[in-house]
Amino acid sequence: MATDQDLVVETVRDILSGHEPFVLTPARRWDEGLWSALASAGLTGVGLPEEAGGSGGDLADAVAIVRTLASGAAAVPVAEQLLVAGPAVIAAGLTLPPVEEPLTFGIADTVTATPSGDGWTLTGTAADVSWAAVAAHVALLVTGPDGAALALLPTSGLDASDGYNLAGEPRSSLTLAETPAAVAPLNDAQARELRAGFALARAVQLSAALEQVLAWTVQYAGERHQFGRPLGKFQAIQMELAEMAGEVVAVTALTDAAVQALAHGSADVALAAAAAKVRAGAAVEVVARLAHQVHGAIGFTQEHKLHHLTRRLWSWRDEAGSELVWSRVLASGLLADGPDGLWPALTRVV
Amino acid sequence: MSNSLVLAPAPRSEAAEQVRAEVREFLADELAAGTFSTHVDTWLSGVDPAFSRKLGERGWLGMTWPKKYGGHERSAMERYAVTEELLAAGAPVAAHWIADRQSGPNLLTYGTEKQRQEILPRIVAGECYFVIGMSEPDSGSDLASIRTKAVRNGDGDWVVNGAKVWTSNAHESHYGIVLVRTSPSDSANRHAGMSQLLIDLSLPGITVNPIRILDGGHHFNEVVFEDVVVPGDMLLGEEGNGWHQVTAELAFERSGPERFLSTYPLLAEFGRRVVDSGDPAQLTVLGRLSARVLALRQMSLRIAAALDRGELPNIPAALVKDVGTTFEADVIEEVRRVADVMPSLDSPDPLGRALAEAQLHQPGFTLRGGTNEILRGIVARGLGLR
Repeated sequence: MATDQDLVVETVRDILSGHEPFVLTPARRWDEGLWSALASAGLTGVGLPEEAGGSGGDLADAVAIVRTLASGAAAVPVAEQLLVAGPAVIAAGLTLPPVEEPLTFGIADTVTATPSGDGWTLTGTAADVSWAAVAAHVALLVTGPDGAALALLPTSGLDASDGYNLAGEPRSSLTLAETPAAVAPLNDAQARELRAGFALARAVQLSAALEQVLAWTVQYAGERHQFGRPLGKFQAIQMELAEMAGEVVAVTALTDAAVQALAHGSADVALAAAAAKVRAGAAVEVVARLAHQVHGAIGFTQEHKLHHLTRRLWSWRDEAGSELVWSRVLASGLLADGPDGLWPALTRVV
Repeated sequence: MSNSLVLAPAPRSEAAEQVRAEVREFLADELAAGTFSTHVDTWLSGVDPAFSRKLGERGWLGMTWPKKYGGHERSAMERYAVTEELLAAGAPVAAHWIADRQSGPNLLTYGTEKQRQEILPRIVAGECYFVIGMSEPDSGSDLASIRTKAVRNGDGDWVVNGAKVWTSNAHESHYGIVLVRTSPSDSANRHAGMSQLLIDLSLPGITVNPIRILDGGHHFNEVVFEDVVVPGDMLLGEEGNGWHQVTAELAFERSGPERFLSTYPLLAEFGRRVVDSGDPAQLTVLGRLSARVLALRQMSLRIAAALDRGELPNIPAALVKDVGTTFEADVIEEVRRVADVMPSLDSPDPLGRALAEAQLHQPGFTLRGGTNEILRGIVARGLGLR
């Protein structure tokens, strides 16, 4: 796999151009054709080592793919596979399923893993698991006999509920009753970093989608004429677009830094990811609201493309831990060395 | 997104982390010795020449400037770390702030060799302070409408008449870089005919009148020029190039950590309150505000890295200042929402004092250095809308 990110992005864009985003319904829950095209091009294994069955390339390549797909509202579990489940399965020493088959990820603390014969079984309910209804395999962060554990299991035959996020992306509850799975124990740091990695994956998606929503809105403001001139020539509209840009630049800068922290194996990666998720989530309110305001009524329709991303923004900000959850994790971590440690921590995390 | 808004990520600088540790140790010692106490917005209100000279002795002023002018030839990233530490500690840095941030760099770009030799080493020593002479009583956001006038006399000197306002700490400063009209305004080209003069504030004909801010504090001034004779060689840069030169200063003026850390001492006090209370609502707010600080640092660091590459990213600087100064003010309301605290300058509670200082200075955050409305107009231009 070429590591040239521009090339990777161009390849993904070419593939995406043949797969316009569509309204997800229970009858059409994901973009299977897009997934197949990406898999055929080797793009569903990028960032995962070849010896483990991946396509090679580094984290930056995988992030570039995830960003491109997020800005195209692609209904495929690539973020979960490339940034969360894939790396976690490999790090835990489990066998990575074939990367041509979708692998997803869920946090399921209430699911318990129990040794059974030569293997393990899982019992409990895993709530709101992204793409579980369409993926071939799922990796779950569960509770084992001695703490956290990573479980990997096929989805065929699982009892998966019909659930969807605000964008219609499948989010199922999995009911597990002594269900066989491969399981590997995780220490506290590994479990913390896995949660943070999931949050960072969503932050990356949010960052790309926020940028795209801004770009669409700027473009629309240049094309739509009222009172004899483009909307973008009105100062009131310019102020709104500039405010959106401020939010988008802030999110991009912090998300990039958190990805760098992950790439460098920083000890503070969990806090960096927490901060990126909080900042990205906070930007959604401003950017989605103003994007819809500038687009006017047409942007409120199903016919217009805007909702493909704004509905994802409103969903993703609460997935993999909301701002409420991560802001507490972040603040507790920053204060870990006491009140005078706040500033040193702020200058260390990213 | 438009490329004019996006800068490359800043590389991690080991040298910056090293000098950061030195500054942190220095500040801890000074605080312990009682040489200063922490306050909000000290880059406006904390004038302390002795402290500025100490920073000069440590080599923390004029850090990026050439050694032949007394500078230290260090990177903008190192300077960033130093300024950020000083602001976070609420140290008294106002005396030298403008000279170190933008007047010195302006002299390096446009000054004559004589001006550089005479003035820069004194700035580096923490002994020579500058004011910005841009706004006037009738020219605020519309800077091109200035009327302060400089006319050559028979000796080739400039005779200056007019008035500048909001000149921070002019009563404690030595020089001003003053934007003047050197030719009559031309409605066809509003940005033509302006020049920058380097003016010694002790010259006859200059009157400095205090303009007190709403809490009675004396930081701002009106500087009146009445037939002030400025030597002809004190023209800075080119005659008629004033608008361009002023614009070039803005990346320095608008992008630094002082555009989001003015109220950091309030956030630090709030952090202490959170540790004491363990209140989850307060913890949440601290996390949200911290995420904003972390994002702003990355934005501002990217500009420091761009300065190191020799760029002058004015549009990203305007964006950082808009987002950063909005944050400075938001800290006040976010803290109030979850902490029951009475703002008072004489409160026994340090959180109450910090809140009071922040509140009374808050209106200035989104005005000084270009209002946020003007900044958003610049960002809109960066988005291709103008």
